[in-house]
Order: sequence, then C-alpha cells, then structure tokens
Amino acid sequence: MFSVLIDQFWSLTIAGVALGFIYVLVSLGYTMVYGVLRMINFANSEIFMWGTFGTIVTSRDIFGYTQTSAPATGGKLALVLISQLLMSMAVAGVTAIFVEYVAYRRLRAKGTNRLATLISAIGISIVLSELMRLLTDSRPVGSPRVLEKIILTEVWGANIRLDTVVTIFAAALIYFLLERFVKLSRMGKAIRAVSMNEDAAKLMGVNLNRVITTTFLVGGLATGAAGFFYITVFEYTKFNIGFTMGMAAFTAAVLGGIGNIRGAFFGGLFLGLLEVYASAVLGTQWKAVTVFIVLVLVLLFKPNGLFGEAVQTTRA
Amino acid sequence: MKIRNYWNLRDFGASIWENAGRPMRVAIVLISILLVGLLPFMGGSFLATPIASFDAVLVYPVGMFVLMSLGLNIVVGKSGMLDLGYVAFFAIGAYTMAILGTTTKLNTWEIMPIGIAFAMIAGVLLGIPTLRLRGDYLAIVTLGFGEIVRLVVLNSTWSKGPNGIANIPMPPHFGPLKFELENQRLFFWVVMAMILLTIWMIRRLTVRRPGRAWEAIRQDEDAAELMGVHTLKYKIWSFTLGAAVGGAAGVLYASKNLYIAPEMFTLNVSILILACVVFGGIGNIWGVIIGATILGYLPDRIRFISDARLLVFGLVLVIVMNFRPDGLLPRKKREKAIVKKGANA
Amino acid sequence: MAKIGKTLLKLDNVTMKFGGVTALNGVNLEVKEGEILALIGPNGAGKTTVFNVITGVYKQTSGIVNFDGISLGNQKRYQVTALGVARTFQNIRLWGDMTALENVITATDVHKKSGLVGALFGLPRARREEAENRERAMEILRFIGIDEYSDRLAKNLPYGVQRRLEIARALGTSPKLVLLDEPAAGFNPAEKVELAATIKKVRDAGYTVLLIEHDMSLIMGISDRVVVLDFGTKIADDIPSVVQNDPRVIEAYLGVPADAS
Repeated sequence: MFSVLIDQFWSLTIAGVALGFIYVLVSLGYTMVYGVLRMINFANSEIFMWGTFGTIVTSRDIFGYTQTSAPATGGKLALVLISQLLMSMAVAGVTAIFVEYVAYRRLRAKGTNRLATLISAIGISIVLSELMRLLTDSRPVGSPRVLEKIILTEVWGANIRLDTVVTIFAAALIYFLLERFVKLSRMGKAIRAVSMNEDAAKLMGVNLNRVITTTFLVGGLATGAAGFFYITVFEYTKFNIGFTMGMAAFTAAVLGGIGNIRGAFFGGLFLGLLEVYASAVLGTQWKAVTVFIVLVLVLLFKPNGLFGEAVQTTRA
Repeated sequence: MKIRNYWNLRDFGASIWENAGRPMRVAIVLISILLVGLLPFMGGSFLATPIASFDAVLVYPVGMFVLMSLGLNIVVGKSGMLDLGYVAFFAIGAYTMAILGTTTKLNTWEIMPIGIAFAMIAGVLLGIPTLRLRGDYLAIVTLGFGEIVRLVVLNSTWSKGPNGIANIPMPPHFGPLKFELENQRLFFWVVMAMILLTIWMIRRLTVRRPGRAWEAIRQDEDAAELMGVHTLKYKIWSFTLGAAVGGAAGVLYASKNLYIAPEMFTLNVSILILACVVFGGIGNIWGVIIGATILGYLPDRIRFISDARLLVFGLVLVIVMNFRPDGLLPRKKREKAIVKKGANA
Repeated sequence: MAKIGKTLLKLDNVTMKFGGVTALNGVNLEVKEGEILALIGPNGAGKTTVFNVITGVYKQTSGIVNFDGISLGNQKRYQVTALGVARTFQNIRLWGDMTALENVITATDVHKKSGLVGALFGLPRARREEAENRERAMEILRFIGIDEYSDRLAKNLPYGVQRRLEIARALGTSPKLVLLDEPAAGFNPAEKVELAATIKKVRDAGYTVLLIEHDMSLIMGISDRVVVLDFGTKIADDIPSVVQNDPRVIEAYLGVPADAS
C-alpha cells in the first residue's frame, strides 16, 4: 500500500505541488470574498468551471486547434497560452461579478438574513452549472493539446514535465501579483479595511459596493487562472467538475485560515500534496472523502486554520 | 381592508380554521384527506402527465417531494439551519431497504423503523460535531456529507458499487390491497399517511417546548443560549428528526422503485428539495406542501421543464430569495390576538 | 426594603484580554443577595464585558467567577442561566417573530424537565409544564406591567415595552441574579422614573440586581452600592453618596457632569 508512496514519492510531490497551486488560486476566490462579506461564495466552484471552458474555447474555437493538431511551439505557443489564460480569467471574472450582482447585491441592500443569501448563492451556482450542462449536453469536453508535455529532466527518478513546470511557476507568479495588489494598491487597502472593520471603513469613505465587486472580480480572476492551469495539466473539463474542486479549494482556504490570503497559499499547497499522497495510498476514488474528513477535522479542532491568525470575531 | 384579507391565502385559510368549531375542523380535515386520497383517480383529466403515468407521478416526485420537504423544513425552516446534504438520509434509508430487503426475510414495514433509525444515527453522528459550526460552514459540511455518502456507496462492494441493487421487494399486500408497479395508488396512500404523520409530528412539536426552542435558535441563537436553551441539543433533535423523515422516504422509495443506484442520490436531490421548501415558504408547512406539489408536478406536466428541471429549480432559489424571500405562503406571523383586540376596541 | 444577605456572586481578580487589549484588569466584585448593585463607568470601561464574562459569552483570561458557591468557569452559557443568572441586552435582542408571551415562556422552559417525546405524545408532565409555563409567564408580564401586550409580536412592540419585555424574559428563567444592561437607554425622564420603580419592585420580589446604567440620578435613587470601572479597572466601590464625591470617579468622568446621561 505504502510502497507506491515511497517509490513514486518525488513525482507525486511534484504533481502535488502543481495541484496545490491550482488549489491556492481557487481558494483565493473563497478567501477574498469571505474576507469582506464573512460569507462563503458558493458559486466559486462554478466560476472555476466556466473558466476551464474559457480556456478550451480559446484554443479550440479561436485558434482552431483540434485533438489531432500538433502542439504549438515558440512564439505561437506563448501567444496561445497567454490568450487562454487571459480568456479564462476574463470569463471567470465576468461570471464572478455576475454572481455578486445577481445573488448577493440585492439581498445585501435589503439587509436580509444570512440564510436567504446562502440560498440565493446556491441557486446561482446551480444555474451556472446547469446552464453549462445544457450547453454541452452533459458531455465531457476534451482540450486540444497546445503545450506539449515534454519531459524536461529527471530528478530523483521523477519526470519533470513542461506543463507542470509552467503551472507551478506561472501560478506562483499570479499568486504573488495578487498578494501585492491586495497589500499595496489603494483598492487592495480598501478591501483589507473592509475585511477588518466594515463600519469603520464605510465611515472612512470607502465605497462598499465597489470594494465588494472588486473583491469578487479579483477572486474570480484568481479562480479563472486556476481554470487555465487545470486544463493545461488535466486537458479535460465537464459541467460538474466544480463540485470536487470547490470542496477541495474551500478546505484549503479553511486550512489556511479563511479570509487570510497567505493562509490560502499554505492551505492550497498542503492540501494538494495531501491529496496526491492519499490517492496513492488509498486509491483515487477516496480522494474526495479524504478532503472532506480533513475539512471536518479542521473545522472542529482548528476553526481558524492551521496557519492563519484568527479571523472570526466572537459574537456577543 | 377586509377584501384585501381574502387575497391573502394564508390568512384566509387561517381565518376559516380559527372560526370553525371542533366538529367543523374534524370535517374539514376528513374531507381534505378524502379529496387528496381520490387524486390518483384523476389521471384521465387535464392533470394527466405525458411521460409517466399520473398515479406514479403522484408518488414520485410529488408525494415524495412533499414528504422530504416537510422533513427538510424541520431543519431549514423551523430552526434555521441550512442542510445541503439531505439526500444522504434519503440514501441511507433507501440502501437500508435495498440491502435488508434483498438479503433478509424482513418486509418493507419491518425495515422501515430500521431505516429510520440508521438515518437518525447518521444525523446524530454528523450533527454532534458540525452543528456547533456557524451557518455557512454547516451548509458546506452537509453539502460534503451528502456527496460522501454517495461516494461511499459508489465505491463499496456491499452496496454493489455503481451497479446498484436490483430486485428489491415490494411491500407486502394489505389484505386485498396489493402493491403493484402498474397501479401505484396504494403507494400514494402510504406516502399520504406518512405525510400526515409528519404534519402531526411537526404541529405537535411546534406549539410546545421544542418548537419554541427552535424558533428562538432560528431568530437569535446567542440570545437563546443565554436564556437557557440547550441550543446544541435542540439543533441535533431538529437535524435528526429531519433525517428520520428523509430515511423513511428512502425506504419507501427503494421499495417502490425496486432498484436503486448511487446516481439517484446526487447533490441535485438536496437542491430540488431545498427549492421546494424555499418556493412554498420556508417554515410554513402548508406553503412547503404547496411548493413541493407544484415543483414536483410541473416538470412532469410540461415537457420542456423536465429537461431543464434543475436549472428551473436553481432560478427558483435565486428569484424567490431576491423578490419574495418568504415564498408563496409566508411563515405564520401568529398575531391573531391583536386582530381580536382591535375589533373590540 | 429587602434584607441584604450573603455574597451571591463573586469575581475574584478577573482579567479579560482580547489579543493585545485588556478589557478587564484584575477586577474584584461582590454582589450580595438582595441588593441592587450598579456598575458604572465611561464608555469602553468594560462594563458589558463583565456581564459577558459572568454569563459565559467570554471565557476570562484569568481569575475566578463564583456564583452561589459554584465556579462558573466551566459552565456552558445555558447552564449558567439554569444556575440562576439571567440578563438583558444593551441592544435589545428579543425574538422578534414570537409574541411577548412566547418570549417569556421560552425563558421559563429552562427549569422544566419534559422534552421532545413528552411534547410529541402530549404526555401528562409535558401538558402540565406547558400550562405552568404559560401561567408563570403571564404572571411575570403582569408583574412588569406589560400583560396587555402579551399576544403582540415582540418586533411590533413600542420601544419602551421591548425594554421591559427584556426584563420580563430574564425573570422568566427564575434567576437569583438579574443582570440589566442599560435598561433605561433611550428612555425619557418619566419612563426612567417608572423603570426605577420597576427595578426596585424586582428586587423587593426577591431577585438580586446587577445593573449597568449611565443615568446617574437613576442609579443614585435606587442602588444600594455602586462600583465604578475605568479602563477595565475597578476604581471605586461604595454607597452612592460616597462614590458620587470620589475624586477618582469625578476624574474618570471628567467633563461629564454627574447628572448628565
């Protein structure tokens, strides 16, 4: 049972880090929104799923790649990949703003209870996934291979493949840029101000609606980028892939301390590795079960996460 | 003012009920039961459904949806906890029936209490750790739980994995009344009896201590606890009773369908039931019944909805929450005395 | 006047820290049976924090809270209530969709034994307890003088009645000690006089009262003893007339005339 883990330790680790970075980006979608609204964005999983379709549509319908065409090289490769990434981010970003507008904004203005908002968010997430199911006729959609999966080198018996390397470095870069944005930009500061104290931020002249929309947008962009990397690695998508991804990324966010951006980073990587190792030992069909057990354990024993500081405030 | 009142279906119904004496009330109840009981004979009318036979539609989805919505309403409506994994309890009931029905000599009615017990045990086991969590965490954990139960039956040998379990026995006949696939009247009457039992249970509990505790928890959980309500205990009870109803529905479903497989117990079922509760009116049992009836029936009556059933239900959630958060029949406001006092003054 | 008896509640060197902020710093406090003790202090002095520590909303960082011979340290919130501590809230927290009567009945449930099974099958004990609760709750509403509102939804009640209903609901739990958090907030002078009479009446009926209030004239009129908090530290603890002239208290309230509210 464990021999698989030992034999393939390094290749599993590399796969785990790549998967981990995808989780990092999706969990940013959860964590950013949670930070300002103190509410889970239930539709984030579907925002991700729409992003994956954006990626495939770009290579397949805009650049005309098919399952049989030769992978791109050189400048063309860079152009296609960057277009795919941007398209995925754009689709996801627009979807995220749509979600905020349709499912959250009106209820927030009315000041209804949390239950209503939760139900509304779940509703929109069902609408997004069902819409895609009807559009794709419930069928999985394969991605033409744009980036050839060349083995670059071998380290400790593990193949280092080009797509993994691209994923890890590009995802890390995007994470870094987003973190800088939240830390340094004016809008980022407003977002942090709202997540610390909404009333005070409002008194200081922060436009709450704009901050919330931006937060959804930024979270959507991160999630969309994850959609691109997901396609690069797994080369396939379906209307229902959001669920498993959402569960895992949310778990990652909670692991890192939800609402905490750096927490999402550690949580995502930790979960990516854990999932890959657990699949090697227990079999891939128990992957989701492992993730769920981790989630329940963390919520029970470390509700503020393993890495982050406390975000929840005690209610009196 | 008076005319306006009659436009309000809830108040209209309530006023008839309140002004009626005991014999009148008994009569209303009996006549209603009789009328609903005669529904399976209406198959030839404008109610007829194009795809499945009308009496089958009355059992599933309509009757089952009503039953499960009433169960989920105990959790979501009465105590304000969002349970997105309700399908898990339905699945546990169904698999209990399937496994015991095919491997032992027990019949449906003997398995029923066992299925309910298993669902309740699952409810307690999930509830004890998770009901301490805040609302949205609870939602996501129950969402995960529902999926986990499906994955476990999908990947286990005792449940025959993705193949599912076939040859589940039908319930034994009641004297001359036989359960049969072609004519599901009898099933409908059984579902009706279960619905009545559930309504009785909810009404009993609502007007007494448990109902008050749930109501207090729903409105302000912290205040409830500080006023001495053992919130966790009552939340677990609410969750477990909801689970019991779901489990009972599962047992009957398996025994009616004769075959079950993991794909019947996806997250979608939880969402459909939630939509029924929300559409009819969270917290109001009559609203929930009407909501579940409409949402259960329409997709079978109007063909194009049946393809996009879930899309419609998702839209229902968003639209109802945004424009009529109380649903078709809002929660009873229970301020009757004020009306009477106003009349006297 | 009720007789003042033994110590009912004792806070021994209680400290409460939130991150780097010390809300309470080694507070000692004793409430004796049958007295009305007022807890005063400028905004942010830690008054409500005292209530939150007593009722178990917060767990104190250090120190001991002892109520009627029992340490409240490990008690859950509902257990604290069952032991005989009830409170009202500064920002009214009634159950708005319940009637006034139901609000109080829900509180009276705390000492009852019947549970779910009794309610479901209408067992004799459950029926008896339901009737007892209803009667007791009605009695309390009459006692507080708001029985005419018993069938109104709490959220539709006038503000003053809601404040009184909070007190009624607290009494519903049959407490030994009632914690009132600014019960006169938003009241006009006439209402304050009426409230003062009610609080006295509550005490004379055998309840001990610990009261947070800003209105000095109200406090001076009814309390047996006044404790002053400033920045989480107790700076005075004496009969009203002495506290009123304590230079440290006047300093803490500097710029705020003693009779302002």
